[in-house]
Amino acid sequence: MADDNIALMAHLMRRAGFGAPRHELETRSVKGYEATVEELLNPEDQPAVDKYELLRYHPWAWKPGTMSNPGSASWMYHMVTTQRPLQEKVTLFWHQVFATGNSKVDHWDEIADMIDMFREEGMGKFRDLLLNLSKNPAMIFWLDNNENHGESLNENWGRELLELFSLGVGNYTETDVKEASRAFTGWTFDHKLPRFPYGRFDWDFLYRWNDHDANKKEFLGHGGLFNGEDIIDIIAEQTATAKFICRHLYNFFVADEPPVPTWPYTAPRDPEAISSLTNTFVQSDGSISDVLRTLFNSVFFKNAMFARVKSPTEVVVGTMRLVGGAEFPILGYGELSRQPGYMGQEPLNPPTVEGWHTGNEWVNSASLMSRINFVTDMLGDTNRPGVQTIIATLSSMGELSPGAFVDAVLEQMGSIQISRSARSELIEHAEHEGSLIPDSSKKSGRRVSEMLQLVSAVRDYQFG
Amino acid sequence: MEGTLEGPPMTPRVFGVRVGIFSLGMEPGDEEFVNEFSGYGDKPSQIMWPSGIALNSQGNVYITDEWLNRISVFDQTGMFLTVWGSSGSDNLQFNRPSGICVDNDDNIYIVDSLNHRVQKMGSDGSFINTWGSYGDRESEFNSPWGISSDETGHIYVVDHKNHRVQKFDPSGRFIAQLGTFGVGVGEMNRPSDVAVDLDGDVYVCDWANSRIQIFDPNGNFLTSLVGNAQELTKWAKHSVDSNPDIQKARRRVHSLEPEQRFAMPTGVTFDKIMSRLIVADTQRYRLQIYNKVKNYTEPQFNL
Repeated sequence: MADDNIALMAHLMRRAGFGAPRHELETRSVKGYEATVEELLNPEDQPAVDKYELLRYHPWAWKPGTMSNPGSASWMYHMVTTQRPLQEKVTLFWHQVFATGNSKVDHWDEIADMIDMFREEGMGKFRDLLLNLSKNPAMIFWLDNNENHGESLNENWGRELLELFSLGVGNYTETDVKEASRAFTGWTFDHKLPRFPYGRFDWDFLYRWNDHDANKKEFLGHGGLFNGEDIIDIIAEQTATAKFICRHLYNFFVADEPPVPTWPYTAPRDPEAISSLTNTFVQSDGSISDVLRTLFNSVFFKNAMFARVKSPTEVVVGTMRLVGGAEFPILGYGELSRQPGYMGQEPLNPPTVEGWHTGNEWVNSASLMSRINFVTDMLGDTNRPGVQTIIATLSSMGELSPGAFVDAVLEQMGSIQISRSARSELIEHAEHEGSLIPDSSKKSGRRVSEMLQLVSAVRDYQFG
Repeated sequence: MEGTLEGPPMTPRVFGVRVGIFSLGMEPGDEEFVNEFSGYGDKPSQIMWPSGIALNSQGNVYITDEWLNRISVFDQTGMFLTVWGSSGSDNLQFNRPSGICVDNDDNIYIVDSLNHRVQKMGSDGSFINTWGSYGDRESEFNSPWGISSDETGHIYVVDHKNHRVQKFDPSGRFIAQLGTFGVGVGEMNRPSDVAVDLDGDVYVCDWANSRIQIFDPNGNFLTSLVGNAQELTKWAKHSVDSNPDIQKARRRVHSLEPEQRFAMPTGVTFDKIMSRLIVADTQRYRLQIYNKVKNYTEPQFNL
């Protein structure tokens, strides 16, 4: 029953997007794998999400205030409804790498603006992205560059820029941190109107030339009257930067790596893969789009099915795109946008500048319950269009033996692969009521919905 | 709503879903809270996504509800009278009813937004007629929003996603249209509402352009308003006066001008008795009010 092309397409869409229902996988399979990769890499060929549609029904989603509820609703709406899935996935990737949290910034709207910037710039040149990031008011406040003065340095931004955003530990010295920080003195933001009494106003980047240390700097073997832009140029040309970002891309799109702080001491699980991605990064002058093309078309990617634990955002968005019903900006988008937070990944509010710990660390006894409860609630709702489609498709297959029934459900959920033992347990459960016989009563629908829920509760379903 | 398709398990948060009654007075600072009624919920007297409001000659209040797909009716004291409509596309059924207006004969016109049509009802809730369907030609709509009637009974419908306003006679016959997509003079981006004054001048709430555009009765562009709230409202002033940190922050900025501007206004109405335009400056939680001065004369040019 399982079709290798469909299974591979399902893998691509889980990683380069948030999964896809079976009928979309079939359409894409006909188009071909590489053609689909190209479509994903060229999001401008597909219509953008209509942001006004959300604001029409949820005006509070415009420059959301202090409440976490509306904070990330706009982004959730984008992820659930986008026809440019890779663009949103790359946005999520950069939010993980350039982690900026509302716990300190206290401006959901400014971090949401950063998310919009990732959406616009995230697949372009790394240098341009890093430069925009350096000028982002939320980032400047998050890492204290507004406290970094010509006469009194604050090295927080300078250090994290090198440690977590580009080179990685071991590829720079304490002097480089200091010199980079000197180059970014005077990079701050302008005063803005306070949030009371009329709501949020934009924070704008401001370069204060008279607060900038204009003297000579020595940075990574280069010397000159460097300003921040020069530092970004030098960083972007380093092979260490290429390697570090490519390891992040591998961790996010291919297979779980250990936590970032261990990277200086732990070899990548697939050094050749990192090397291949790094070559593309260097040759393309840091084009993220080119690196992703290499990644998705590689053998190591195609061989890495189910090698990652799904992040909470992937769980929530993937589920909503499977079950449907949230394409219109329905009541409850604010709460929907909070769901990943209940599972340990509050959007726009990562715990530290290091971002979330991924892989196995996504799952603990509490978060696992939240994940399973959310997914089973959705899959158990037979009013949802995606669930109805699955029920109708199975119904059209005629009588299905318990084994065929289980396999058909796994296929319809997006060519899910599970262990032999898990499959046996599901078949054993199905056998209690025998073969699945299409009927006009609600019994077969109930059984399909139940099986969907059971699949979502097996251990293997946590991988994507 | 049926089943759980559109709601749970998420608990909806509620942002000020109620009907407030205020008196505006004559001068800034005269405004007073009078009363409020209804509230969030799906009982007959409650509302969930209130979108449009209109009063008839008796002072009865009609509220459209875009979530519950119905019209709630209250008397002028806020006492619940009745509720009309249900989900669907038949007569007296609605798919996200939004704008609503009442003509001089107390007929009610409702923008049935996602059925892309207008429904006309009598004051007893009886069906009179309907017009419009999905499209971008004359008498067609794409997600229309606001609506208004003028002194002669003509109906103006804001054709939101077609970036225009269409004018009809009371029976729904197309007469004219205003606007096309853009940010220039006379162009619109997702307009939300419309009002007409006693002279027949037309005020269009140009939502995504954050401005009001004014046209003469023949559809010629007159001018735009971009917001000019140089004074704090009475209640905003209380909040500033009681917080020294906010006072300091306001003194620190280069200009207070951004807060004077409209931010995505969603509603506009013309107060015919006082000859003034009232704009719901939605994202800034306030009304901005402009007097229409009669017999205005230009000052001499060499002053």
